[in-house]
Amino acid sequence: MSPRQIYFIARREYIARVRNKAFIFTTLLVPILLLGYITVLPILFTRTSTEKLSLALADFESGKAAALTERLEGIKEPTITVRSVEVGSKTEDEIRTELSDEVRSERIDGYILLTPDPDVGAHARYFARETGNPVLMGRIEDAFRSALLESVLAGSGVDFDQVRKIEHSDVDVITVSKQGEEAGGFGAVFFSTLALGMLLYMAVLINGQGMAMAIVEEKSSRLIEVVLGAVTAMEFMTGKILGVLGSGLTQLGIWLLCALFVFLYGLPALAMSLPPDMSLTSLIKPEIVLYFSIFFALGYLLYSMMFAAVAATCSSTEEVSQAMFPAMLPLILAFFSTFYAVTNPATTATRVLSLIPLFTPLVMLTRVNVLMPPLWEVWLSILLLALAIGLVFWLCSKVFRFALLMHGKRPSLIEIVRMMRAA
Amino acid sequence: MLASQIVNDLALQCHELVKQFKDTRAVDGLDMEVPKGVIFGLLGPNGSGKTTTIRMSLGVFPPDSGDVRLLDAPDPLSVRHRVGYLPEERGLYAKMKVIEQLAFLGTIRGLSLSEAGRRAAAWLERLGLGDRQNSLTNELSKGNQQKVQFASAIIHEPELIVLDEPSSGLDPVNSRLLSDLILEQKKRGATVILSTHRMEEVEAMCDAICLIHQGKPVLSGRLSEIKAAYGKSSVAVEYDGAPGSLEDLPGVATVRDTGRAAHLRLEPSADSQTVLRALVDRVRVRSFSLEEPHIEEIFFEKVGGTPSRDASATQEVRA
Repeated sequence: MSPRQIYFIARREYIARVRNKAFIFTTLLVPILLLGYITVLPILFTRTSTEKLSLALADFESGKAAALTERLEGIKEPTITVRSVEVGSKTEDEIRTELSDEVRSERIDGYILLTPDPDVGAHARYFARETGNPVLMGRIEDAFRSALLESVLAGSGVDFDQVRKIEHSDVDVITVSKQGEEAGGFGAVFFSTLALGMLLYMAVLINGQGMAMAIVEEKSSRLIEVVLGAVTAMEFMTGKILGVLGSGLTQLGIWLLCALFVFLYGLPALAMSLPPDMSLTSLIKPEIVLYFSIFFALGYLLYSMMFAAVAATCSSTEEVSQAMFPAMLPLILAFFSTFYAVTNPATTATRVLSLIPLFTPLVMLTRVNVLMPPLWEVWLSILLLALAIGLVFWLCSKVFRFALLMHGKRPSLIEIVRMMRAA
Repeated sequence: MLASQIVNDLALQCHELVKQFKDTRAVDGLDMEVPKGVIFGLLGPNGSGKTTTIRMSLGVFPPDSGDVRLLDAPDPLSVRHRVGYLPEERGLYAKMKVIEQLAFLGTIRGLSLSEAGRRAAAWLERLGLGDRQNSLTNELSKGNQQKVQFASAIIHEPELIVLDEPSSGLDPVNSRLLSDLILEQKKRGATVILSTHRMEEVEAMCDAICLIHQGKPVLSGRLSEIKAAYGKSSVAVEYDGAPGSLEDLPGVATVRDTGRAAHLRLEPSADSQTVLRALVDRVRVRSFSLEEPHIEEIFFEKVGGTPSRDASATQEVRA
């Protein structure tokens, strides 16, 4: 193999991909979407949709109307005004018809019906035009519970405020590892593991598929024979994979820079912070960055080669999308097994999975992140992964050698094996 | 075989090459020698094994058995930078600028980046595409794309140039340009292997040929010697007469009648004077000359009307 040839193939592939409009578009769009996501979503989930809310309250002899009104009017956001409805001799249905008409004609935003309940004192129903805001609903429910709790505790000598505090008390989680102690427990690890896994998964999937398509295009446009007149199939495949890897890393680099920028400047500017049990250092640890880089590069190589080999046996882009699934299946399985591994980092099943090369990049990465396994296990998995890459590389170059010049019907698996033995 | 008679050195030597695709033997024990410095015609009907022979010779895939020596090297891949190859199956990167495309194909054929760029620009100028340097390839006409591809095969000034059907799809002007460029390469000292169906091209340009049929060579050697061996056994006639008047002439094996002129292949024992007398009896003869057979006639005589037996193989592997 000539490094020069590989370089020129990789260079062309890299330039072609980086200049591609779709590449530029995704590279820019993803950070924008991500930024939008982390700025808009919290706003959606922490703010109520309106600033003022006008409610009516009808009590059918539960006796909790006054306490509930007090609690509702104590809510700061939104400010709620409560109008008490005289029930008199009217039936529940009559009241509902009346109040619903008021809601429809927008004189009020909603109303609450209270009825007696033998177990907890009262049962509440909330009728409104907008009932989808989880924050507002949470606050109304909280007000209702407080009103009930207060009336139960009244006269018992128990301090209501103390009960509320007890309800909201948490357990602080500190992870103890060989490196030291660190605040932030399962939440931080779960979040960062899935983020890293997702990053690897997406990068492999998007770039690998892009490469598969490119190979088939070259094959169907007959370009391949022009190129194979000058370089070997192995040089072609290696250059191609490195070119795609380069463009993928460029994209990833840009995204990581954006993410870092947002973490450092964006979050303070938006007056937001990470959840209390997470810190920036708990998310980005140097050894995690090291292992992530290793597993990213190796996992990427392994899967790219498999995708490339599958693509080489196809003659049209339609065929690729069908044929791709078997090659993608281990990746998908590996991704889902990270959900298992993140909660069970030390079981035998996880340990075995993390040593199987197709699963190693995602599962071992999870283990390293959640509960650092013995170093020898980590490096054994890396060694096995490297060996697997060597094996797959050898097999793929054989597939490439005969399959690239084949057109027409896709060869069956048996034919592929037979031709690989001949090649 | 013919090697020693022309030049002592061989650009390509194939010995008992065999290639089997499923049930079809595409190449069946083929021996072929291409001397250095000649234009060599590789002829044969569709599916006769020409492209498969070329691919094995250049190491695109290995033969099942047999040996190849390309430019004195036993491994064709080791000398591939000294070879320029224009495959029958053409293709270029559709969304790449013409000049970058040509430069890229130059770099993978061994040129440095800067040299490839310089030569690419010069070639585009030469081919009349100087103003299209920055066009995307798929904006060029098919003929122009083909010229770019031809340039890509010779941009690194290889010692051996293999052209598989180089002129298919070109108009007469560009066909002429292509012939000129091929002859120029020969003058430069390069060896050219030309696989073609155009017999007038072979007649006009080739020094030596190998005619392949059903995966085996049926005729090979220097063109002038092959024709001389046939002797002046053909007659070119110009005549005025009724259509069909040249049928069943005594001593004539085959007739190619074009209405006012005809080409007659005489039977080995025939006497040309008898044929002339028979002609004069039937039509008014304007001219009558004894000639060596055209390569096309030799082609038909060797290959006949036998249909190609491995059409399926061409489907399978585009041999």
